[in-house]
Amino acid sequence: MNVELQINNSTAPEARFVTWVPSPCRIRVTDPSGASASTVSVKIAAVSAANGGAVGFRSGTTGALASSLTLTVPTNGTTVPFFVAGRFGQPSTKSGDVKIEARVGNTLVGSSQLMVRIRKNANKLTNGERDRFIAAFAKLNNQGLGRFADFNNMHKASGYSQAHAAPGFLPWHRAYLLDLERELQAIDPSVALPYWRFDQPAPNVFTRDFLGESDANGTVKFRNGNPLEFWVTDGTPGINRTPDFPTSQAPPNPMKEAQTLALGSQFRTFRGMEGNPHGLAHTSFGGSIQDPTTAAKDPLFFLLHCNVDRLWAKWQRQNGRFDPATATSFDERPTSRPGHKLNDTMWPWNGITSPADPTRPSNAPGGTLATSPCVAAPGLQPRVKDCIDYPGAINAAANMGFGYDDVQI
Amino acid sequence: MMAAKRKVAKKKVAKKKAAKKKAAKKKVSTRRRSTSASAPVQVAESTDDVQRLLKVLCDTGKLIDVRMAALQSLGAAAFSVPNFESVSADYIAALREVSTDSHEQLRRRSLGILMRNKDGFAQKKLLDGLKNPAKALLPPEKALQLLGNDAHAGAYSVARAIVKKPPNQDAKREALRLLAADVKSAPMFEKVLRDKNELRENRQLAASALHSLNPQKLQQQALKILKDKSDYSDIKATSLTALEQFGDDAKFAKDKALMLSVTRFNSSKTPAKYKQSARRFLSKYDQ
Repeated sequence: MNVELQINNSTAPEARFVTWVPSPCRIRVTDPSGASASTVSVKIAAVSAANGGAVGFRSGTTGALASSLTLTVPTNGTTVPFFVAGRFGQPSTKSGDVKIEARVGNTLVGSSQLMVRIRKNANKLTNGERDRFIAAFAKLNNQGLGRFADFNNMHKASGYSQAHAAPGFLPWHRAYLLDLERELQAIDPSVALPYWRFDQPAPNVFTRDFLGESDANGTVKFRNGNPLEFWVTDGTPGINRTPDFPTSQAPPNPMKEAQTLALGSQFRTFRGMEGNPHGLAHTSFGGSIQDPTTAAKDPLFFLLHCNVDRLWAKWQRQNGRFDPATATSFDERPTSRPGHKLNDTMWPWNGITSPADPTRPSNAPGGTLATSPCVAAPGLQPRVKDCIDYPGAINAAANMGFGYDDVQI
Repeated sequence: MMAAKRKVAKKKVAKKKAAKKKAAKKKVSTRRRSTSASAPVQVAESTDDVQRLLKVLCDTGKLIDVRMAALQSLGAAAFSVPNFESVSADYIAALREVSTDSHEQLRRRSLGILMRNKDGFAQKKLLDGLKNPAKALLPPEKALQLLGNDAHAGAYSVARAIVKKPPNQDAKREALRLLAADVKSAPMFEKVLRDKNELRENRQLAASALHSLNPQKLQQQALKILKDKSDYSDIKATSLTALEQFGDDAKFAKDKALMLSVTRFNSSKTPAKYKQSARRFLSKYDQ
């Protein structure tokens, strides 16, 4: 007898990635030989590699996760649903380091390897995680002409007002990071965007093996063999970045995580974090990351913003602010410009340019938002409200397919 | 009439001299003050806050740390203050004003922001300084780095001259970086990459430039470097990364001499930090 395990309701290898949010899965008998009844009792359990991820199971949409699950599966090939989620605190370090095994009695009848893919603190990545991330990023940048050029262009002057100094700042950047992360995962599915905790020392980030070490002139240097040595933006190789703080320490000015989380329980006060810590994290450096229109030229930008998004996610959990329909979850104002109200689609993914709407930029780089083989949200042309319930806490279909190592759902 | 005019001119000269003296005094005092503890950085929430910070930035009577903190706050405001565009002309004007300040750190930062905004005033000042070092606001290597934000033919000719006769090695490196956007410079980068007498940092930069300007040439040169037993490990690691990241996998799989060279590189006395590149490359081909 053989069974097939479908992770995220798919048999595709690129769909075998889960987060802390229970993923819908299915099991079916593909070869009933040896079966004597119309159903068979199949026990599923997970085996983790050393330092690998851990998962739990449940049969329905609610309830606690268990380490194993017994399912009654028809032998005629009909699928039976179940759910699998990463165990909080035990993310994977590489692809396929957790295996789900299906057994009938003691006989192994099917298995599937998967990964608990979670965004982690960049300072604590394993060398393998770090190297896979920078290799995928360098490939995305390829000659400065790869897909990364779109991400650089999205954050330039023309798109500034679509993403900044207004309520949509956090949702826009959540979509922006997810778009980039999905493009990185198309190159290497084991990659998740790491975050730079700018309120803690991150000596492992500012090294020649990772995001580079700045010399006195602000030129960032890489070890030969670090793929980021080939980083090019707007035709010029390299990165300019001058930290105003010793990189063995945290920058002194951005507010700490606890202060950020205490900015208030309403989104309209919490979004003040756009100035501090976000803005002050940017201006803790000289170089391209210091200015809104050039910040995205530096790969560090994406790790900085991943931390901004993590802080929002943490604040959302602390205050239960996942429901876009609740006034405290967003700062909805009738006077907000297009792109900053809950029902507005966001540029550039909506493709709307100035001929159709004078408030939008003249071009829309990059096209629609990248899709995921694991989840359907937030869609090709996300609206502001599609980027609030990121773990699907209110609506399971809103799950955007990412999570943070220190943010429970 | 002429005498009166002369009198006015004399008065102007005297005034200028007095102003210069005053400025020189200030220069000394601000330099002394710059050693004091960092000033707290506040976040602007409105364009009124921005205007207040601009005054602090331009006030040479204030401590340099206070002015630098104002500049940092202004930078953050550019990200988050609603309607910042209504004060951006004032911001640019203030940056231009402080770009000639007595404090080099303030000049570096203000010229950096201006150049990232492709400001013509800053570009002219930096080019003038490279052509005439007596007028330079920044060291040549910094000026070249900032000019790279808006590279154009005028900057290329100055950079070429600096590559030929560099005032220091950092300036040469930044001149090379600037020229990496110039298609005509591809043959020069090919030469720098193959020149074993060249600084290895410049060879690394040449590989990156060539990847941008003529990726096929980089692939050809990277193959030659890997098969050259006498070339350096760090440059071989760079070459391997170029092949592994951006090369033709199917073609390399058939290149036995390449596989042999990489295997040799992996098993020789190569430092461990570079062997990693070899292992990554070989693992792609199950070697």
